[in-house]
Amino acid sequence: MNYLLHILIYFEIYLVVALSLNLVVGYCGLLTLAHAGFYAIGGYTYAILSLNLGWGFIPASLAGAAIAAVMSLTISLPSWRLRGDFFILASLAVQALLFSTLYNWSSTDAPLGSWKNLTNGPFGITAIPRPRIFGQTLSSPIAFALFATIVTAFCVLVVWRLKRSPWGRLLIAIREDELATRGLGKNTRRTKIQVFAISSALVAIAGAMYSAHVRYIDPSSASLDESILMLSMVIVGGMGNFRGPFVGAAVLIILPEILRFLALPDAQAANIRMLIYGLLLILMMHFRPQGIAGEYRLQ
Amino acid sequence: VQILINGIISGLSIALLAVAFQVVYLPTRVFFIGLAGVYAIAPYLVYTCLDWGMGWLLSICLMISGSIGIAVLCEWGSHARLARRGASSGAHLIASLGMYIILVQTIAMIWGNNPKTLRTGLDVVSHLGNVTITGAQWIILCSAVFLLSSFCFFLSKSSFGNRMRALADNPNQFALVGYNVDRYRLLAFGLAGMLASTASFVTSYDIGFDPYTGLHTILIAVVAVIIGGRTTFTGPILGALLLGILRAMVVWYWSARWQEATTFVVLAAVLLFLPEGLLGRKNRVDTAI
Repeated sequence: MNYLLHILIYFEIYLVVALSLNLVVGYCGLLTLAHAGFYAIGGYTYAILSLNLGWGFIPASLAGAAIAAVMSLTISLPSWRLRGDFFILASLAVQALLFSTLYNWSSTDAPLGSWKNLTNGPFGITAIPRPRIFGQTLSSPIAFALFATIVTAFCVLVVWRLKRSPWGRLLIAIREDELATRGLGKNTRRTKIQVFAISSALVAIAGAMYSAHVRYIDPSSASLDESILMLSMVIVGGMGNFRGPFVGAAVLIILPEILRFLALPDAQAANIRMLIYGLLLILMMHFRPQGIAGEYRLQ
Repeated sequence: VQILINGIISGLSIALLAVAFQVVYLPTRVFFIGLAGVYAIAPYLVYTCLDWGMGWLLSICLMISGSIGIAVLCEWGSHARLARRGASSGAHLIASLGMYIILVQTIAMIWGNNPKTLRTGLDVVSHLGNVTITGAQWIILCSAVFLLSSFCFFLSKSSFGNRMRALADNPNQFALVGYNVDRYRLLAFGLAGMLASTASFVTSYDIGFDPYTGLHTILIAVVAVIIGGRTTFTGPILGALLLGILRAMVVWYWSARWQEATTFVVLAAVLLFLPEGLLGRKNRVDTAI
């Protein structure tokens, strides 16, 4: 039972990640590799605030979301001028900076969480408290799974409402033809800032769920590999509609579990999983560029 | 002076890779991340050949031909087909990323995740005044200078080099004149494979290698391309040298931990304020080059 709950929680975390990334990649047409950085910001903020200041899950994750939304300016401002390969490079620069900051903001002679040793560097933060909601600690897996479902449902609702709003249609218009959209008098720059802020805030909430569930976080959550994994989830699942992220997250969760039952040697299982993701990316680009359930083909 | 020399030598190995990247990017507009996989696999090929008792020279020749083969296979099996369908640059990039993942995971499955070295014991050291240069650094210096200068010569003097530049300038016109674009694309990929495998070999002879070094190194090379100018074949060499010196200075005056952050701050600054690079033609970033 705990195994199934664990899979459910992971599915929900990845679903929020995929939904938020799809807002930027699928609706706005901007491939970004910095998403894992914002995910890690959410995770770290929850970890530090709950460990040092005893904050509950809701205020701590909202604080993480706010920080990620502000930090998203580092990626949304370059998106004003850069497109295509060059925007991807700029996003890579942001990812490298966020990763370096998390990796290096440490000092051996200061206590964890203090200003000089905020992230504990490469060792990461351990023994993160279980989430507390309204003074209640969620210690059983089922309570956490229920809570994660509620948080995920909230995020899904937010994305669904946004997608159906005039603002969502504006995003698609920017993706299809930014110049024409500006010609119609729409402020595309402001919209880009908004979409990155919303997407980063959502993924920060996913990061907070992750660190509350695993109770450990290290800078590898912000690594390039993590970003690539997130991107492949969106690309394989499908871009530019609401179903895609569900499919992408499901594929990402189910594939390792299937491999687990094939009794592959432990040392090779992770490699084979990544190999299949790589193969999926190539096959998708050749035979179904919009992803399994998507509508939008990458430009 | 020692910092400067170290910077130039590491810059030269970045330059080899940057030119390898550019040799594919300019004529084909393919953002060839798969090159990172070629870079990663090259030292393993030498390692295995040496293990089987072959000599250094034969091993290196086999490594270069193997790497060329893999790079050409990437083009033939994936990029050429995508290009024929008129796929977008994003699709090329993602497919290339997929190829990189496959190559790296294959390496990790065959040879394991642990770092390896090509030589044992201490390196020979020579002194020039108050500058110390190791044997491995000499190898980097000589091979990079030889390859880069012959590349520049080949590009400006030979007819094949001229055709390469013509293809980079306008692929449609190039095809209209009657040249076989597919064949020149294959050659570009092969050339990139050769340059990248050499860069990889000289670096891993110096500092060792593991399956995951490729992506990181190629990204640094791409930064060098952007700094030097993405519309020229030779700009990346200048960009790589500057980047190498900068990175060496960061290590000396500050800390090796901030090397990456500094590299990418420079990238962001160049993208925002000098998008055409040092030697590039003036162009809007969002227009096709």
